[in-house]
Amino acid sequence: MTFLELQNVRKIFPNGVVALQDVSLRVERGEFLAIIGLSGSGKSTLLRCINRLIEPSSGRILFEGVDVTHIRGEQLRQYRRRIGMIFQQFNIIERRTVLENVLVGALGRVSIWRSLVGAFPTEVVEEALHNLEIVGLADKATERVRMLSGGQKQRVAIARALMQRPEALLADEPVASLDPATSHSVMRYLEEINRQLGVTVICSLHFLSLVRRYARRVVALRAGSIVFEGAPAEITEEWFRYIYGDEAQEVEIR
Amino acid sequence: MSRRWQSVLLDFGIGLYGAVLLYRIVWVHMVQDGEAPPVTPPELGFYAVAGLIVVGLGLYLRCTLGAWIRWRQELKQWQRICALHWGLTLLVLTIWAGWVITKVSPLDLLSAEGLRSAGRLFGALLSPEFSILDKALAAMVQTIYIALMATLFGLPPAVVLGFLAARNIMRGHPLTFAFYAFLRVLINFTRSVEPLIWAVVFSVWVGIGPFAGMLAMTVHTVAALTKLYSEQVESIDSGLVEAVESTGAHPVQVVWFGVVPQVVLPFLAFTIYRWDTNVRMATVIGVVGGGGIGTLLMQYQGLARWHEVGLIVLVIAAVVWIMDYLSARLREAIA
Repeated sequence: MTFLELQNVRKIFPNGVVALQDVSLRVERGEFLAIIGLSGSGKSTLLRCINRLIEPSSGRILFEGVDVTHIRGEQLRQYRRRIGMIFQQFNIIERRTVLENVLVGALGRVSIWRSLVGAFPTEVVEEALHNLEIVGLADKATERVRMLSGGQKQRVAIARALMQRPEALLADEPVASLDPATSHSVMRYLEEINRQLGVTVICSLHFLSLVRRYARRVVALRAGSIVFEGAPAEITEEWFRYIYGDEAQEVEIR
Repeated sequence: MSRRWQSVLLDFGIGLYGAVLLYRIVWVHMVQDGEAPPVTPPELGFYAVAGLIVVGLGLYLRCTLGAWIRWRQELKQWQRICALHWGLTLLVLTIWAGWVITKVSPLDLLSAEGLRSAGRLFGALLSPEFSILDKALAAMVQTIYIALMATLFGLPPAVVLGFLAARNIMRGHPLTFAFYAFLRVLINFTRSVEPLIWAVVFSVWVGIGPFAGMLAMTVHTVAALTKLYSEQVESIDSGLVEAVESTGAHPVQVVWFGVVPQVVLPFLAFTIYRWDTNVRMATVIGVVGGGGIGTLLMQYQGLARWHEVGLIVLVIAAVVWIMDYLSARLREAIA
């Protein structure tokens, strides 16, 4: 059974913009899949359709063979718990501590009342500390997030996603606001999570050099359609120009 | 609305307004030197005709302001100049009407007797009577507490309504959106009624005194804070909300972990600012019987004891200045 399958997914926003047209995609368990394409080609929309932060206009989304396109309420929340997500802008609470931010990832399995008063069960807090160890931030647990660097913030977000014990991790341009050296450090954590913990990673990226280094399969979007699917090595000069336009020139990030 | 209709409406308005000024101010006030008579149906008809005449001029001669905004560059030189003169005439007439209506009179302002009285009054104000300082301070404390209670009572409903009056929280469902629209109208209406008028309402309800003043300010505080809070909620970064949603959190948890952390400090700053505003308002409300220092001021003013009034003004100025300074520093500290 396919782990995750998108069938003819379309998304038209209320203002008439067609973000995705007829996207079909299969993702196998344990993959490291990169999504590339210009800004506005639909990468973010595609990722958000997978965990239903954005409702597709038509088409179907199957997760382990179960149709999750129209589930709502508690069912939707149960589904989202199985898929972690990290973002370009990190989206963490700047004024809270690292640990408090990581605990947000456990909201789905802590009672509402306990979470509102901040009384997380001991084993959940221990798990949060363990996840901070995985991303190399064990010593920063009690520090406020706004004191951290960009790369550290993204690692906090990764630890938060790990709290969901996710089967898949969606990463929306996770290194686009980071410098090259930090980008590699964050990407290596994603690689480790993919290899050691067996978490499927679906990651949108700007730099082809990062794609070649980390991804095992690539999907390229152009104007809301998938125009390329294959191994990173198969992206020739010609394909590159087709995906990014004739004006584009490849920039290396080492 | 299309530019065509805008231009027609503008011309109609200009004609109507010009006729009102000419008849009501120039004819009745200046020529007949009388009081304004009640408005009659034939008079309204006359205004409408005047409006239509200007619209006609605009459409056929193209020499009005309406024609100018509609055709702009296509107009000839004389048409543009003519349009400009419509505007100029109206401006001059308006200032003239304002002069007549407010009964501006430089003679009264500079009359020898008037100047002498004013001089006496200012002299008294500048030599305040310090023997009633304890009384004034006690009244001032009352005013500050009226303001504090109004802020504290207004706070909880405003926090709840602040979320319910935020578009981004309520737009999910037609029913909640309808409630949002209703709440917006209600809040804007409540806010547009000055606290002074609320004080009159409540003094009939609970009797004249500090309680009525406090209630009046509570109502106004709820409306004002709800507006400020809801705008803050609307301007939050949706990224954090998305992130919390993506963890599979319950909507209550999404608000608590995704929205609240972004608004707590701005809310606090608005609340402190509101308390500071309320102290100033409480002073004025006291003047119409809302208790505290305003009421004391009225009593001495009624007795024409200007030295005492001078002291009260001094106390008010000092406290308002201190509150202003403290609230600014507090808001800076938490920002």
